Amino acid sequence: MRAGAEAALVEFRRTRRRRYVEELDVMEILYRVYVGAIFAAIALGVLAGALHEAPASAAALDSIRVHAPPIFGIAVALGVLAGLRSGAHGGPLAIEPAEVQYTLLAPLDRSFALRPKALSQLRIAAIAGAVTGAVVGNFVFRRFPGSPVEWIAGLALFGALVPVAVLGAAMLASGRRLRPLLAGGAGVALVLWSVADLALGSTTSPTTMLGELATLPLQHGARIVLAGVGAVLALALVGAGLLRVGGILLEAARRRAALAAELRFTASVGDLRTVILLRRQLASERPRRRPWLRIGAGAGRPVWRRGWQSFMRWPLVRIARVLVLALAAGAVAVAAWKASIVLFVVPGVLLFVAALDLIEPLAQESDHPTRFELLPADTARLFRRHLAAPTAALVAVVLLAAAAAAAIAGDPLALGIGLVLAFPLGLVLACCAGFSATNDPFRFAGMTPGVGYGVAAAPLLVAAVAVGLPLLAARALWLHGSSPFTATISLGLILLGVAWVAALFLGELVAKRTAVQA
Amino acid sequence: MSGGVAELGHQAQAPLLRARGLGRRYDDFVALTNLGVEIGAGELVALVGPNGAGKTTFLTLAAGLLEPTSGAVEIDGAAAGSIPARRALSYIPDAPVFYEDVSLGEHLGYVAALHGVEEPEPRIAFLLERLGLDEWADALPGEFSRGMRQKASIALGLVRPFSLLLADEPLDGLDPPSREVFFELLAEARAAGAAVVVSTHRPDVIAAASRCVGIREGRLVYDGPPDPAAIEEFFEYTVADRPEP
Repeated sequence: MRAGAEAALVEFRRTRRRRYVEELDVMEILYRVYVGAIFAAIALGVLAGALHEAPASAAALDSIRVHAPPIFGIAVALGVLAGLRSGAHGGPLAIEPAEVQYTLLAPLDRSFALRPKALSQLRIAAIAGAVTGAVVGNFVFRRFPGSPVEWIAGLALFGALVPVAVLGAAMLASGRRLRPLLAGGAGVALVLWSVADLALGSTTSPTTMLGELATLPLQHGARIVLAGVGAVLALALVGAGLLRVGGILLEAARRRAALAAELRFTASVGDLRTVILLRRQLASERPRRRPWLRIGAGAGRPVWRRGWQSFMRWPLVRIARVLVLALAAGAVAVAAWKASIVLFVVPGVLLFVAALDLIEPLAQESDHPTRFELLPADTARLFRRHLAAPTAALVAVVLLAAAAAAAIAGDPLALGIGLVLAFPLGLVLACCAGFSATNDPFRFAGMTPGVGYGVAAAPLLVAAVAVGLPLLAARALWLHGSSPFTATISLGLILLGVAWVAALFLGELVAKRTAVQA
Repeated sequence: MSGGVAELGHQAQAPLLRARGLGRRYDDFVALTNLGVEIGAGELVALVGPNGAGKTTFLTLAAGLLEPTSGAVEIDGAAAGSIPARRALSYIPDAPVFYEDVSLGEHLGYVAALHGVEEPEPRIAFLLERLGLDEWADALPGEFSRGMRQKASIALGLVRPFSLLLADEPLDGLDPPSREVFFELLAEARAAGAAVVVSTHRPDVIAAASRCVGIREGRLVYDGPPDPAAIEEFFEYTVADRPEP
């Protein structure tokens, strides 16, 4: 009977896949991929050539050889921690509701039923990671010793193994039905192990070993063997996850099935705010019943107080995420300063993600328009006031990133730059997140979806440029022996002016939309 | 095996469903606590209780879709959710779910094949005809009305062999003739030796049942004959719908 059920499942899936492929215009897709690949390759080649990055100094190479693997290891361990937490909440597979109802309730081996889905998810993640790694390798090889092939292949392999290891950890946690506390504890232990490696200059943690792979052309001897061990351990983790994938809790699978379908739809229309809300539901990330600190009636004006009351109910995981994003932004800024200026794009992206969490009080108001429409207050002014608490919190986040950068680089210059830029960047990031949270994705969905995606992506691009550009300018001046502060102060003032106008515009935009709807 | 019911070699003495000390919490909320019940072959049990009483939680625990926080459920002697239990139990959920790119006929063929029905066509044709869906075999679920989705879900629950059928408010959205057909199909299942548990607020289901199990605030508060008046009084709520004449 089991063999019959499994044969029925295979045949059913084959039929669905065949029907899906028949409905696709394969030639059109191949043509688009072909054109996209050509343009991407040309753009990458031109950009990499235009950057004219000088080869890294011997001191920088030594520092990267020793410190980069454990730093990469910490990043991978954080990914594995996220994977373990996701697995403890039923991730990473998103199974169709009907698949749970009919296939997983049928008398067959659930591992057999789920493994193809898991392999498909792993395949997509591995390809995306490999491409990203290869792109980074294309920039990196120009500054470091080693052949282009070594860098591109090594980073492509590293890029493929990292998401695969994260997914493998999630599948293992899900299949073994680990409790969130245990899964989180295991992940934190792995992160601390990698931190210890960084502090001691050793390579003992599995994720540090995997980190060695990212700098393989710079390594020699035992470190190459350790990189191989890291790769094998990542694959073993995936193997273990695939073996246990059938142990998934059906209640978690059912909950995720419904949420994942909504998530896919909202992502497809570029509705970032709903994506965030659904992702929080997927991760069971709920506000605390008891606030960390009670914000009393005397703590400032009502809107300011409401913002801090929101922050004081943040779950621990959200606080940890924002702290990690700030630390990562600082670390990547140092890497960009020392290794490759292409990485200056990343800190802004990371801080924008943190800002999406910190804009929550304003986003909540936008989510419930009847609430502010009934208030005897000017809507535009109300929304501008809602930027105050997130801006204050983001100033702290930027300062934390700067402190992390100063600690990693061992140079107080980063802290000085952070102090100059903290307020302008805090306000810019709050405005970017505010635009994202109040964006109506369906405004352009019918006629011009491309414009809709552009509008949804614009705040992210602005944040990346607003953070990256002053750092790039400061570095250029510093390399020429000038004070980097002249650039950061003038660019900081420009950012402040832009953010001020953006804040005014944001309030008017929400007020105008509400009036139109009325 | 030709599909249909109760062809699974169930032993008449053992209960088809046995719950012992069954409990389930959702964080601080206790949905079900210390529930003990046994259901034997041929019974039609009306599972009643106010909204939020724990009826759906009980059915999903028995179906293996939820894990208990205390106690256990056995289906025909096997742990709920195990392969033998999945073979014995058919579950019709309160909210029907379908593959949106698969026709009703293909759904029925797939579910029958998953449960080892070698020649499902006669059973599929029978169910489609009885439930008034024979014109819709090639239609996709997106084309169905609410009542048709419910009937399709019932057909999917009945197309495969089972010795225990759990149905969560299956009559919602059904017109009177369809309700009548549903009762006839349940009678056939019982005659073949299957047990049926129907979660309901409807007096017509209670009247047709051989036994009534009542849950309130997660506790078993009634287990006895299906007297609608007694049930109504016991639960202190008004049953809005009366049985069709």
